Amino acid sequence: MTVHRSDRPLLEIQDLRTHFFTQDGTVKAVDGVSYEIGDGKTVGVVGESGCGKSITALSVMRLIEQPGRIVGGSVLLRGRDLLRVDDAEMRDIRGNQISMIFQEPMTSLNPVYTCGDQISEAVSLHEAVGRRQAWERAVEMLQLVGIPDPARRAKQYPHELSGGMRQRVMIAMALSTNPELLIADEPTTALDVTIQAQILELMKSLRERNRMAIMLITHDLGVIAEMADDVVVMYAGQVVEQSDADTVFAKPHHPYTTGLLASIPRLGEKRQRLEVIQGVVPNPLNLPKGCLFKRRCPHAMPVCDTPPPLQEIARGHLSRCWLTPAGEPPAVGPEATGELAEAAASALQAPA
Amino acid sequence: MSGQTWADGAAIEPIEASASLVRANGGAGRVLLRAEHVVKHFPIRGGLLGVTTIGAVRAVDDVSFEVRRGETLGLVGESGCGKTTLGKVILRLIPATSGQVYVDDRPLFDLNATQLKEARRDLQVVFQDPYASLNPRMTVGEIVGEGPLVHGLTDKAKREELVRELLAKVGLNQSHIHRYPHEFSGGQRQRIGIARALALNPEFIVCDEPVSALDVSIQSQVLNLLDDLQQELGLTYLFIAHNLAVVEHISDRVGVMYLGKLVELADVDPLYAGPKHPYTVALLSAVPEPDPRRRKKRLVLKGDVPSPAAPPEGCRFNTRCWLREQLGNPERCETEEPVFRDVGAGHLVACHFNEEVTPQAIASAAERQLPVIGA
Repeated sequence: MTVHRSDRPLLEIQDLRTHFFTQDGTVKAVDGVSYEIGDGKTVGVVGESGCGKSITALSVMRLIEQPGRIVGGSVLLRGRDLLRVDDAEMRDIRGNQISMIFQEPMTSLNPVYTCGDQISEAVSLHEAVGRRQAWERAVEMLQLVGIPDPARRAKQYPHELSGGMRQRVMIAMALSTNPELLIADEPTTALDVTIQAQILELMKSLRERNRMAIMLITHDLGVIAEMADDVVVMYAGQVVEQSDADTVFAKPHHPYTTGLLASIPRLGEKRQRLEVIQGVVPNPLNLPKGCLFKRRCPHAMPVCDTPPPLQEIARGHLSRCWLTPAGEPPAVGPEATGELAEAAASALQAPA
Repeated sequence: MSGQTWADGAAIEPIEASASLVRANGGAGRVLLRAEHVVKHFPIRGGLLGVTTIGAVRAVDDVSFEVRRGETLGLVGESGCGKTTLGKVILRLIPATSGQVYVDDRPLFDLNATQLKEARRDLQVVFQDPYASLNPRMTVGEIVGEGPLVHGLTDKAKREELVRELLAKVGLNQSHIHRYPHEFSGGQRQRIGIARALALNPEFIVCDEPVSALDVSIQSQVLNLLDDLQQELGLTYLFIAHNLAVVEHISDRVGVMYLGKLVELADVDPLYAGPKHPYTVALLSAVPEPDPRRRKKRLVLKGDVPSPAAPPEGCRFNTRCWLREQLGNPERCETEEPVFRDVGAGHLVACHFNEEVTPQAIASAAERQLPVIGA
């Protein structure tokens, strides 16, 4: 495979909007999301269920189904807008340049074909090779992802394999065409911790070997810290914070990120009480005006009625919050503490 | 009827009675529940008519432990290790193959139906899946109030008041009493499950993965709630989970299971700071830490967990054990089952070579690892 190098990042997502038009109203699952993935870089996308992290990925792959629709923005792969190429071209890009693996390997593998059949199908769809050659490639790929006795395993059906083995088969299939970008949506969430460790080590080795970029979607901050160069934090369809991994974990700015990091129990740190983020994620059909996090935010202040922009608070560090870069309330407006903040927050919750 | 011991008093007085009776028997730290040689095998049927037993899944295989009054005993292990089955067996939700569980020295497995019903008041459970464990056709009031009604501790008139109290206790809006489960979020449903478990004023609650289906920000809310309730009501928990950080946070003592066996059990701090079983070492090493500056050299176990229908001879962990490999594959690991024994200060471990588990040995094992990709 030739590795293209240019000044442009491998993937640029710009102001992507994917909405779902349901009977009850429009759900803005992805609402103005922008981020980039550089060649060979791993970008961790983190957020809770429903925050739009997976829908962003599916939009990049153009796999959004009714009642969903991509209503705006662009997805540039090496400068070419994937939202404007025709279906045939897109099919070619999927698999060749971008591959995707999912959380639950059993639902993504076809139960009536052997693992070898499925991988060689992927190979022969994207390369002009004969059946025998494709099969040989499949066995090679199974060996690459560390499956013992690959020639025998290739002849087995998915149900004959353990969860970790199936995820390896998925990875083998995704990598069989040497993609430049791998989208991994919760790749280890269904796996046990010792098997997760195996898969993460595998992904690290393959990333280096193939100089492949990874969009790693997960709710597990541990996995993000382990793997990612850059981190994108999403909340209710928007990017709320974005920076390199060290900065996000050491100096988070957005109160949501701060709250998430404070609320997870960590090994070796026994605390009496866990910090909590109050309340629940807002109903996507009835989002608050202004900042989407304000009802749960300990710093909520009157200015939060105006939607905060995603702005650079330090070099390469973006945050969607009105707090100053130092984390202080902005100069104008009341102190955002105690009762005042609560009063402000409850005033904001009153129906418009 | 020989149910005197349980039925005494409890049948007459409302809720408080049975619990206070039990609580009067001993203060904090005394043994509340003792499991002795508990075995649960699920038969594998086969043959022409499917009625011949051709084998058994040895889900729980000779497990003994104690739970002390007022403590949280954490139970960790990977899927299929038998931790959930063990939780069900010690509540007699499924029958044990052999062994005995003593609750305050009463043999739970020997109680008759009436006695068992009485005993169950003190033994409750919170399940993992807040979507599957609540009846969608019942309102919150009916779900939470069903237990007290069945046990004759309340009547339909007083039930609502009781349920409102319980909802307030678990941080739910009392006015939601007539709503159905689908109207609640995952975290709220788990609170309903907790309220149901509390309704009979139990002493002991088995929490089976109570937070693993919840989002991160909601997990901490539920963990804090469990903590508060324990303090307030003097509850004893058996907390079953696969998330090692969560278990460390909530537990006083922790047991580690592998393939149906307890392999290590100790106070939480010594266990996490100085694990003595090679499996515990690997389990802790595998946890990714949410701090990119602490990326560590991992000890990655090879292969998968063997089938519990055909566990390895000798030590069940021997097929994946890094220590055995490091020691030049001593024969003993394959031929002799290690005894689960006290190696000092109540730290129990089942390994022939637990003294060889040193920081140096762990570091060198992590260094010696082969590349994870083939070709």
